[in-house]
Amino acid sequence: MLGVTWMRGLIRRPGRLATVTLGIALAVAMLATLGGFLGRSKATMTQRSIGIVAVDWQVETAPGADPTTVANAVAGDARVHATETVNFGATTGFGATTSGTVQSTGAGVVLGLPASYRATFPGEVRTLLGPTNGVLLAQQTAANLHAGIGDTITIGRTGLEPVTVRVDGVVDLPQADSLFQKVGLPAGAQPQAPPDNVLLLPASLWHRFFDPLAASHPDQVHTQIHARLDHRLPSDPAAAFTTVTGEARNLEVRLAGAGTVGDNLGAALDAARGDALYAQALFLFLGLPGAVLAGLLTATFAASGAQRRRADQALLRTRGATLRTITALALLETAIVGVAAGVIGIGAAMVASRWAFQTWRLGATTLQGVAWSASAALVGIAIAALVIARPARRDARALTVAASRRAVGRPSTPRWQRYGLDYLLLAAAAAVYWLTSRNGYQLVLAPEGVPAISVSYWAFAGPALLWLGAGLLCWRIVETFLRRGRRPLRRMLRPTSGPLAGTVAASLGRQRRLLARSATLAALAVAFAASTATFNATYKHQAGVDAVLTNGADVTVTEPPGVHAGATEATRLAAIPGVRHVEALQHRYAYVGADLQDLYGVNPTTIVDAGKLQDAYVTGGTAHDVFSTLAKTTDAILVSAETAHDFQLHPGDKITLRLQDAHTKTYKPVTFTYAGVAKEFPTAPRDSFLVANAAYIAKATGDAGINTFLVDTSGHNTRTVAARIRNDVGTTATVTDLASSQRIVGSSLTAVDLRGLTRVELAFAFALAAAAGGLALWLGLEERQRTNAIATALGANRRQIGTFVHAETAVVTVAGLALGAATGWVLTLVLVTVLTGVFDPPPASLTIPWTYLATLAATLTLAAIAAAHAAVRSARRSPIATLRTG
Amino acid sequence: MSPSEALVRCEGVSRDFGTGHTVVHAVREATCQILPGSRIALVGSSGSGKSTLLHLLAGLDQPTTGTITWPALEGAPLRPGPIAVVFQAPSLLPPLDVIENVALPLVLQGVDDAKARTAARIALDRLGLTDLVAKLPEELSGGQAQRVAVARALVATPALILADEPTGQLDSETATEVTDALLESARSVGAALVIATHDTAVAGHLDQHWMMTDGRLLVPEPAGDQCSA
Repeated sequence: MLGVTWMRGLIRRPGRLATVTLGIALAVAMLATLGGFLGRSKATMTQRSIGIVAVDWQVETAPGADPTTVANAVAGDARVHATETVNFGATTGFGATTSGTVQSTGAGVVLGLPASYRATFPGEVRTLLGPTNGVLLAQQTAANLHAGIGDTITIGRTGLEPVTVRVDGVVDLPQADSLFQKVGLPAGAQPQAPPDNVLLLPASLWHRFFDPLAASHPDQVHTQIHARLDHRLPSDPAAAFTTVTGEARNLEVRLAGAGTVGDNLGAALDAARGDALYAQALFLFLGLPGAVLAGLLTATFAASGAQRRRADQALLRTRGATLRTITALALLETAIVGVAAGVIGIGAAMVASRWAFQTWRLGATTLQGVAWSASAALVGIAIAALVIARPARRDARALTVAASRRAVGRPSTPRWQRYGLDYLLLAAAAAVYWLTSRNGYQLVLAPEGVPAISVSYWAFAGPALLWLGAGLLCWRIVETFLRRGRRPLRRMLRPTSGPLAGTVAASLGRQRRLLARSATLAALAVAFAASTATFNATYKHQAGVDAVLTNGADVTVTEPPGVHAGATEATRLAAIPGVRHVEALQHRYAYVGADLQDLYGVNPTTIVDAGKLQDAYVTGGTAHDVFSTLAKTTDAILVSAETAHDFQLHPGDKITLRLQDAHTKTYKPVTFTYAGVAKEFPTAPRDSFLVANAAYIAKATGDAGINTFLVDTSGHNTRTVAARIRNDVGTTATVTDLASSQRIVGSSLTAVDLRGLTRVELAFAFALAAAAGGLALWLGLEERQRTNAIATALGANRRQIGTFVHAETAVVTVAGLALGAATGWVLTLVLVTVLTGVFDPPPASLTIPWTYLATLAATLTLAAIAAAHAAVRSARRSPIATLRTG
Repeated sequence: MSPSEALVRCEGVSRDFGTGHTVVHAVREATCQILPGSRIALVGSSGSGKSTLLHLLAGLDQPTTGTITWPALEGAPLRPGPIAVVFQAPSLLPPLDVIENVALPLVLQGVDDAKARTAARIALDRLGLTDLVAKLPEELSGGQAQRVAVARALVATPALILADEPTGQLDSETATEVTDALLESARSVGAALVIATHDTAVAGHLDQHWMMTDGRLLVPEPAGDQCSA
């Protein structure tokens, strides 16, 4: 009965109850939305891992084992949906006579594929020229042999006569690394490079050529059973990895040594589970501080009504209520607020999820959504207990009503401030930052092939300590300024406050704790919003950079292997509407010792801007510096870090590569001068490549032909411009655009809808900043309504009341924005460093979202001004009622 | 201001709170005037309308019907200025120390900070509160806080001091101290003094007793200050 009466009383004063409920609901909504995002992200990663694998399992038949038996065993596995038998035969080399010259290659591999293989595993082989079946030459081999459709090539066989075939088409093998993997290598073993020379034959033809070789040299042929699995797997990559690898081991056991499983799907999921942990880290780094901040704001709102609550409690106590009764009432209020906040928060999370991710569900599955919702609601109830029940019980045990009135006064310096806890926390944060920013540090430890993976949660200590230290330091700065800076404060207030400046400065000084708390909350909210926005903007920018690196430019036109375009082609492309600039690239292959690497011939004076080259792509200076070196030295060359290390190169060293001569079609030595290291280059592979002057390559090889055109559209209408170019070039070249590339490149982490996450996070950050700037100040001013009433009764007019209020507003807003911006900047630097693993490539500098930050600052300022305006308006009411309530 | 000109004049003043069947008639058709130098005790039980009438006299509230004028004070803003108010509840601004609280009415008038502080110090000296200048309101006892409020009422040299139950929350000894302080302050600056109180001991210190009952004002005849219901 008492509980009902108590709650009726609370409902009659709905402001505080509603504010606390909404504050907790905000925290619940944030956790539920981000939790749901995390669950969906993991499911996306799993699906993406499945999507990028062309062949799930490659089961290698053991020497002497019957391939048919193995194939039957694999096909009989419950998870296997389809199988194909693939034969591998070693060749001593290919040869071709084209344009009157004889070309030959080193050793290679000849594959025998069943006719249905391309349909069963469409991602393994990509047609570049010609039909989908028949004798198909791999792109690089075609380039090496200078062979195309209709050319005849010879296949060398150990101990047997070479055989000849006519080329029907040219193909690309996008998954060559996994296709030619050495199945059964121990985890962590050095991966094998795929063969440079590959030919694909129909199975019947392969058997005709290589069955004799199998009889004479059985070690030169082997058979694999390629399998496609049932992809209904757990949504979490780690769980999916465990399932797939477990079943692969189970199959191996059943094969009893007749076959070894090359688990490509398991390997992809292995990489994804590391990314999933990064997503989890993102959730913790970017989501948790927001939820904690929402909790802190709520606690502040709740505390702003503490005086009234204590008075109510005191009244109850004078009427005989025991500590137990008061605790029970507080728990009742906690339960009602917690449940209401849970319901509102989860509702808001569903709306946010629908808005940002186009789904009402807060997880990958309904069950997961329910679990996340329940967890977030429980956190809401815990916050309610912390901000309502705990202080109520504490006050009931320890405080008198008179003591509770002490909102201002001469507070002693807090113990943490005396001992410099904020400095210690910041120093510890700096130490952790130093440890985590050293070379070789990895946040996520996911040893390849090992079931156990882990996040180095130690790294979380850096940002956590920084949050705590920065919060306390903000408090100290504002408090110290208001305590010691009365004279400068008076001078600053003089123009707006006139004779009241001294009184206002004194008032600010005495309310320094309240103001420091409000300013600190505003600063933390700004820091949260700024760091989240900047991190997300940097991430988005780097994802764009990654796409540019992969695609090369807004639109990239690639000539088929062996076809070299002339300079007029660039002029023609430049005339297409929407094209701003066309940059021509030579793409050759060069032998560095025995290693064949991609060689790019560029115009060093234009490539930096045209290729959007970043400083992070090179070492030893900015991109402009390095490429101006290239421009000054005709035979200069940039090599990969690995090559520079392997050959112990120093700037100015001469290196000799072997390049194909245009006339003789043979590889001849060409001398270059080592000028620096290139880590990334548009369209180049990640591991090793070379960049040199196009003019020098043309002169040295007698071939000025262009293979790739980087088309700059100023970032606008890339798809439309790409379509126009496709219409223009027809099937003579491959045209790819940036927008399409962005969808298919990058790690599985970039596949996650971070755009939606950004929208949600920024919206929450906005709400927190507005709440911190406006509501906290407004509630504080509401509590000081009595002060306004007294001043009014003494004759203060509205403008004079406004002087006090606006001074407080200015302190909270200016300190909140300035300290928040500084904290946010440092936090972003730390986050970017600690989460380097999510960036590909790592950013050279932060990308600042100025529009968002300006809007944020304006919102916080407007919220504070609106709150101040409301407070001044409240002073217009008759002060009598306020004063009579005592 | 002419010595015989009324400081405040009320003509049939009523003040109602609420509307319809819940309306409360706090003051009913009160007519009175206060002359310079008056010492008036406005007595009556709790809820009789004393505070409401006092607030009307101070210009802190508006009458529902009737008129209130300040003939001797025309042209000057009532507060801060010729009318000072002392409240029952603690009315010092918590963030300001004693001297800043006392100086505040002058600062609100636009007086220079240093001059206002000097005047405040004089007012505090007059009430023997010099030791309290640097104290914060929360560091004062109830009696000290009310005496500081009296000093604040005094600082702008008012013509009329209106005190609303200034001893309502004090023990009898402290109440006597505060009443004495009010009387002495009013005498020292030559102000009229009206104290609303239900304490007969406090009322005993004053010359005239006006009675409030259920919002009706009763004034004994004859009196230098005439009020009637």
